[in-house]
Amino acid sequence: MPYAGALKVLIVDDQNSVRQMTRLSLEEFGVRNVYDSGDGASALKFAGSQPLDLIISDYNMPEMDGLALLRAVRAHPVVRRLPFILLTGRGDKELVIKAAQAGANNYLVKPFTAAALREKIEQVVGKLQ
Amino acid sequence: MTTIDDLRTTFFDECDELLVDLESNLARMEEGDADVINAVFRAVHSIKGGAGIFGYDGLVAFSHSFETVLDLMRQGALESSSAAVATLLTASDMLSDLVSSARSGAATESEGRAQCQTALERLAAGSGAGDAPHTSGSGAESFDDIAFTPVQSDHFESTERHTIIFRPAEHAFQEGRDPLEALRALGQIGEVEIAADLDGLPALPDLVVDQLHIGWRVVLETAAARDEVERVLEGLPFASIAFPDEPLPSSFSVDDKPEPGDPAPGPAPTEPPAKAGEDERANEPRGRDATQRSTARIDLEKIDRVVNIVGELVIAQAMLGQIAQGLPDESRGQIAQVLDEVLHHTRELKDSVMAMRAQPLRTVFQKMPRLVRELSLKTGKKVRLETVGEGTEVDRTIIERLSDPLTHIIRNSIDHGIESPEARIAAGKDGEGVVTLSAIHRGGRIVIEVRDDGRGIDRDKVLARARERGLAPANAALSEEEVNNLIFAPGFSTAATVSDISGRGVGMDVVRSNIQDLGGRIALHSQPGAGMTIQLALPLTLAVMDGMMVRAGEDVYVLPISAIVECLRPQRSDVHALIGTRGMLRLRGELVPLVYLGELLSAASEARELSQGVVIITESSQSGRLGLVVDDLLGHQQVVIKNIEDSYGVIPGIAAATILGDGKVAFILDADKLADLAAAGFSPVRGAASAGVFSALSH
Repeated sequence: MPYAGALKVLIVDDQNSVRQMTRLSLEEFGVRNVYDSGDGASALKFAGSQPLDLIISDYNMPEMDGLALLRAVRAHPVVRRLPFILLTGRGDKELVIKAAQAGANNYLVKPFTAAALREKIEQVVGKLQ
Repeated sequence: MTTIDDLRTTFFDECDELLVDLESNLARMEEGDADVINAVFRAVHSIKGGAGIFGYDGLVAFSHSFETVLDLMRQGALESSSAAVATLLTASDMLSDLVSSARSGAATESEGRAQCQTALERLAAGSGAGDAPHTSGSGAESFDDIAFTPVQSDHFESTERHTIIFRPAEHAFQEGRDPLEALRALGQIGEVEIAADLDGLPALPDLVVDQLHIGWRVVLETAAARDEVERVLEGLPFASIAFPDEPLPSSFSVDDKPEPGDPAPGPAPTEPPAKAGEDERANEPRGRDATQRSTARIDLEKIDRVVNIVGELVIAQAMLGQIAQGLPDESRGQIAQVLDEVLHHTRELKDSVMAMRAQPLRTVFQKMPRLVRELSLKTGKKVRLETVGEGTEVDRTIIERLSDPLTHIIRNSIDHGIESPEARIAAGKDGEGVVTLSAIHRGGRIVIEVRDDGRGIDRDKVLARARERGLAPANAALSEEEVNNLIFAPGFSTAATVSDISGRGVGMDVVRSNIQDLGGRIALHSQPGAGMTIQLALPLTLAVMDGMMVRAGEDVYVLPISAIVECLRPQRSDVHALIGTRGMLRLRGELVPLVYLGELLSAASEARELSQGVVIITESSQSGRLGLVVDDLLGHQQVVIKNIEDSYGVIPGIAAATILGDGKVAFILDADKLADLAAAGFSPVRGAASAGVFSALSH
């Protein structure tokens, strides 16, 4: 059973406000080790250099979108098995299917509540304590 | 602590940036470039996403309709025709309005919004592809039928037990280190069982109270990996730590450098991982080649506070200088030396703070492509806009107030300057006209130029119109420059019919006064048939400036250094009497009208005799040179500009006030307005034409 306080989560979103909101939501249920990154490329670099437990990435980003990041993570020698949750816009089923095919562990539709985020994370990493 | 309100501010700041991106990309939309359409889509999508998080439903609904159209274009189901782009541009304006009203908390419902949204929906429906894939998901946000990859990593299957033995150095207490910190830190990452290791405890007589004789054995049950536990302990006060359950026990000490194999200390949690990844490169393009630097978003109010403090510092320093003047010689020398250094640092501090307020002109320049596009559509003229130096930085307050004047100048250039394609080809020019917008730093000012390759100013037409309107006397022989400057005269307009474009009730006179309000100058150069250039020279900042302290009678005034051409003590014989003036100074063959500052501002002035005073030659863009007679020059000083208009209203000839070293208030003179004031006082000819009369008389 993963301990929320020990969970290390990387948030990837080009919008600072969304990153900060996600961080606040995570803190609400005790996740304290939160890193964030504004673009896919530096997120990938960071993930390769740090022990992480989870990536929560937005889909809609310039340069490297969330799906491209997911594919890059899955192709990465070190972090290829890292749990990955993709944030999507409202009801984009095609995208969710693509994400699942690319190896995403779950998805979450924006905007979301802290409870919804927790539920998705728990579906991926197991019940948090 | 970050609050939701802070995040709201961040969100709206992002919206501003996204809207600027949106606007500049929309102007390029018709080219059909997939990257551009994607960028436009992303901007709207991001606004929608953020709006959803912060609960701005109206904004979400509108941006959703907007996004739907863009998505169809992205997929190629809808063509980005002129008409469609026009609808999108309107929608972008509406989106911008909605963002502002969301920010101010005003009601977001309006007729325009509904209309615009309907137009977008109609556009989407017209594509035939409909809105299906995106709106059908309103209730279907759960896709239970999609199988996600289960987590393969063993990260979370069980927690690990680590046994940690650590034994702080005996002198840990003397170094102010507390082993309890380490125990607490371990407790934060998992469940701990701690047992004290008392083996090292000496017999009571040998016990030294301020030495640490005991160690601990900690069993930590945690989901964190081994290296994470090490990282928690790293930097904490242990002499040694060991994981005895390791086949090859490793130990490290905080006093040692990390071993080569040790993980590099990572950034502290809650720190952004990679600075370069931060999205706060507000001033940097997002292109691949954008230099990545780390930036922080700072509330403008905070910077303004620093600007104010620097202002106070400048004043305090001036006071100090004044006090030092009164000291005996031996101590004064030393103090003067230090004071010089302080002066240097203050100036640097001022410049650095101003640099913080500075922003590249890009935000203003980026609005112009769309304007040019709209104007060329309306006028049927082919116009290309080229921008140079959009990275040039200038104070934010100036940027905010530049948009309108620049818009108007460009309108004017396209409306009056650039010819129709036929006329251009007939004149042997390219059918497409070019308007160049450029910015450059020059001599402590920022110079912005709008240059077109149109027909230039038709001087005969301008002069005829000015005479018709009574702006220029019928018999005055005006120089070319003076004729050109007539277009800045209030009430002047050469367009035979008031066009939709330039004729919005704002003339170039308003542009001129806007620029002057910013402490800038506007100049115009025209070459008939080849085009015209309007040049704006603006101060880099509005808070502190270099001024010349002058005395008139009992009063001290400050004249902006930028307004001064030269200072001199003329001979009596250089001054010629002329009825209606206080005398004309012959300066290298040119006659310059003299104005006595004391008289002008009705202060008592002793030195009516010119020979005792100093003449400061000032130059203003519309009335030419002026010889300002003052009693004395008191020296050059940086002054902090304090606005007085709020308290006292507009005082003719006075731009602002400042506080001097001795704590007295001095007025900062407005050189341009002084010329007007003087002209009103001694000449029946007002404004722009007055200089023309003088030069006519001097021939």
